Amino acid sequence: MKKYVKGMVLGGAMLLTACGGGTEEAKPVEKTVVDIFQFKVEIAEQFDELSQIYMESHPNIEINIETVGGGDDYGAALRAKMASGNEPAIFNVGGPQDVYDWQDKLVDLSDMDVAKKAFDGALSGATLDGKVYGIPFTQEGYGFIYNKEILKKAGIDPETITSYDSLEKAVKTIDSKKKELGLDAVFATAGKETWVTGLHFSNVALAQEFGSVFDAYNAKAVEFTYSEGMKKLFDLQIDYGRKPVNATDYSTQVERLFSMGKVAMTQQGNWAYGSIKGIDEELAGNIGFLPMPIVGAKENVLPVGIPMYWTVNNSATEAEQKAAKDFLNWIYTSETGKDYVINKFNFIPPYEGFDGENLQPKDPLAKDIMKFSKEGNTIPWVFMGYPTGWGMETLGVELQKYVDGQITWDEVLENAKASWAKSRK
Amino acid sequence: MKYNKKTFALFVGPIVIAFLMVVIIPLLIGVYYSFTQWNGRMDQAPAFIGMSNYIAIIKDEGFRNAFIFTAKFTIVSVIFTNLIGFSLALLVTKKLKISNFMRTIFFMPNLIGGLILGFIWQFIFMGVFETIGDLTGLSFFQGWLSNATTGFWGLVIIMIWQMSGYLMIIYIAALQNIPKSLLEAAEIDGASGWAKTRHIIFPMVAPAFTISMFLTLANSFKLFDQNLSLTNGGPGGATEMLALNIYKTAYTFTNYGAAQAKAVVFFLLVASITMVQVYINKKKEVEM
Repeated sequence: MKKYVKGMVLGGAMLLTACGGGTEEAKPVEKTVVDIFQFKVEIAEQFDELSQIYMESHPNIEINIETVGGGDDYGAALRAKMASGNEPAIFNVGGPQDVYDWQDKLVDLSDMDVAKKAFDGALSGATLDGKVYGIPFTQEGYGFIYNKEILKKAGIDPETITSYDSLEKAVKTIDSKKKELGLDAVFATAGKETWVTGLHFSNVALAQEFGSVFDAYNAKAVEFTYSEGMKKLFDLQIDYGRKPVNATDYSTQVERLFSMGKVAMTQQGNWAYGSIKGIDEELAGNIGFLPMPIVGAKENVLPVGIPMYWTVNNSATEAEQKAAKDFLNWIYTSETGKDYVINKFNFIPPYEGFDGENLQPKDPLAKDIMKFSKEGNTIPWVFMGYPTGWGMETLGVELQKYVDGQITWDEVLENAKASWAKSRK
Repeated sequence: MKYNKKTFALFVGPIVIAFLMVVIIPLLIGVYYSFTQWNGRMDQAPAFIGMSNYIAIIKDEGFRNAFIFTAKFTIVSVIFTNLIGFSLALLVTKKLKISNFMRTIFFMPNLIGGLILGFIWQFIFMGVFETIGDLTGLSFFQGWLSNATTGFWGLVIIMIWQMSGYLMIIYIAALQNIPKSLLEAAEIDGASGWAKTRHIIFPMVAPAFTISMFLTLANSFKLFDQNLSLTNGGPGGATEMLALNIYKTAYTFTNYGAAQAKAVVFFLLVASITMVQVYINKKKEVEM
């Protein structure tokens, strides 16, 4: 009852203030309002803190953040938001499909400071006709996560693994010492997860075939130029992978096998760090990335991509657009912003200017991604440019049949080619 | 109240409107969409393409495989579910002390939702079975759900586990409705246990059998959530059933028109098969 009364009083008070507001004189300084509609739920709170700090130092700016994501469909929510007439000044796009869909709403951001500071290729997923429409959030990368302790015991220097041949040699060495190292197998291969095989694995070869996500998006056909090298790398993971490969899912791969030290390496991304750390903190501190080498293509590479971009809405007023750009610049270039990006958001920023001692990512996987990316040894993510459903439901499923021995490698590629051509005709 | 047109409209009207709104109209719109090509975006109108979607179904290997798999699954699960459901009913109607307790236990799996059930069994097949296999070295327990055969039996097992308790309840009701006098008369006439079952119990529970057959047939044919959560059609599309195939055509490949055409075919299949089954079973029932 007490609560109820309190609520009534509060509600009444709010009503009064709301009414009062209307009659008040116009404020001395007109505030520019920047509405942000973003999708990364994990950083919602920290992002709010950061915007508070920004507003304190910029009293004439007001930032409103709305977050929709996680289990909810950001794309659908964004459409609804746009249709409602209350358009945000800053929103997110994921890749070429989004950029095409929203192109008439997007502002060219190529003159922004952060755009100039972005690493080579980091902008390509949101660049169309030479115009940069998106500012990268963060980078994510995957490769063969390996257990440093096991490689050391097997007498292998991970630094020497820079090509397919050296990888194969290392795998065979580990395989011969499987018993003494207490391993089930060299690899944990998640054949059940078609995103691991159909999207991520295939990307290693196809990124080098297409070059960029937009080229993949526009391609009428897929050739599998590096089919030989692709087969070799896939077979290596199957032949030396823990059986049954097709029944190995993400949690078996990462938690039951890799984190328990039952395998030496596994194909996964930096997002797996949390799960590994949750199971064995010591082991998690002692891991790193090995490249995914495709014979015939660039071998010493890690696929690193941008999962999401910031964009500025061109239906916002000039002042709002400017304020929006200033804020985005500030996040990735000011000292406070950088500190938040690294230490509170746990991002791997694809930008120059993060050289300070305190501005280094803390987990070993993120560090390795930074290393590969600074050396220019990365290839882009192009799977956002595959035809709808093709990666997981066509290629991934065909690869499962291949693992099961039902069809040959050539049949896998033929079926995948036919399906690509059919969806792009 | 005297029957008149006004009260008739008052009582039946709301139901008719609701039925029209949520069943008949969507069905008709769905049939229309099956003649179009549409990617599901509301700002783009579906393009009329005639019978192309239906012609494509004939050539669609995935759909054909899904049909064969679904048919096999249905036959096996209808037989086993009814057999086990009926046996459980016979078991718990014997006057044992723990009968009531057992009824509860057998019925419980039916209270768990299909998705959760699929995930629980996925853990059992892939985690528990695997561990047993590793410890005992028995190859029977290894590699469950990693190929078509174990995927098939995995689905059959969870279907039986979930449905047989429900059928048991239906059969119990039928068994308890058999007049004691009939059984006693048979006993006096010197009928053996099997003769009683064969000539009295079976004919008397025939109506329950019709219902149970219908339920298992329709449910197995339309199975979706267990399929999605247990195997998601894998590995290699080997355990993809019709409903999942339609779902993927629509939501993964965004071919709403083609999926709708498949759904129409699916509807006709389920309707005709179940109607034939009910017709045949009805003929075998006896009236008291």
